[in-house]
Amino acid sequence: MSAVLDPAVIETLRSLTPPGEPDVLSEVLQLFLTEVPPRIDRLRNAWAAGNIEEVHRAAHSLKGSAGNIGANAFFEVCKELDEKSRSGQADAVGPLVDALGVEYGRVEVEIARLLGAS
Amino acid sequence: MVPLQVLVADDEPVSRTVVGAMLKKAGYPVVYAPDGEQAWQQLSSNDPPTIALLDWEMPGLQGPEVVQRLRQRETSTPTYVILLTSRDSSADIVQGLRAGADDYVTKPANEDELVARVNVGTRVVQLQAALAERVRSLEEALANVKALQTLLPMCAYCKSIRNDQNYWEKVETYFTQHSNVSFTHSYCPNCYERFVRPELEALEDAKAAQDRQRRR
Repeated sequence: MSAVLDPAVIETLRSLTPPGEPDVLSEVLQLFLTEVPPRIDRLRNAWAAGNIEEVHRAAHSLKGSAGNIGANAFFEVCKELDEKSRSGQADAVGPLVDALGVEYGRVEVEIARLLGAS
Repeated sequence: MVPLQVLVADDEPVSRTVVGAMLKKAGYPVVYAPDGEQAWQQLSSNDPPTIALLDWEMPGLQGPEVVQRLRQRETSTPTYVILLTSRDSSADIVQGLRAGADDYVTKPANEDELVARVNVGTRVVQLQAALAERVRSLEEALANVKALQTLLPMCAYCKSIRNDQNYWEKVETYFTQHSNVSFTHSYCPNCYERFVRPELEALEDAKAAQDRQRRR
């Protein structure tokens, strides 16, 4: 099984911190934890309301966040959601919305572990 | 090489922070915009960032629209625009470049590639600035050449030339100001006969007269 967060991406983020400045990796991971859950909620609400355009917008922006921290499995779900909602394949969206929650849970645990370790 | 200021415009905060940190590590001063409207405000200000990284999909104004607006403005130092896009189909990329973007980077950005492309932008901007400066100095030289090709009003007696400010200048002064010519003063054979020789002869006569007086 591949890592929840790509070690190469995490290493790059760690290396971005300039000498004497706040840790970029922690900043980005904390930003992810505060920014992503409200957008997942927005996506779920949009899905419940049958607003597939809003589902697409939220999935697209979540995909961007996921890619930046190397959350590969979470990224793949966002990407599929992005594509399926863009092309209006509503029957494929439901299971992906559920999968999104599961994958986010894994990412959250991994981030907590990394932040605790640093 | 002085690092140029870079604008990072992206509504997605994680991506904005990561891209900004990559550029800061490479030594670039970075400013941020959270949407297309604010990106446009910064880029249309009096002192705009020289290089802009614009996210393709932003609420309000999207990346390609910001570029289109930018390209409608006349300027000798246009902003170098790189579109950030998670789309990688060539049709989308062509659309972005047609809108006036100089380059594109796909998201999530790879640090080395991102910095290399921004470095290319720096080279292009500096080359453009050097060319603009060269054109400006050539235009100035051309203006002087034109001034020398016009009809110059000259005094028939003292040979002064009337300049654009309606002021009479000596020929030397006028040409020194309007061309790369400088003058060294001498005399022609005619003027030697007319002015120089009589003066020399007068001096010699005066000297001979003095000697005669002393001998008495």
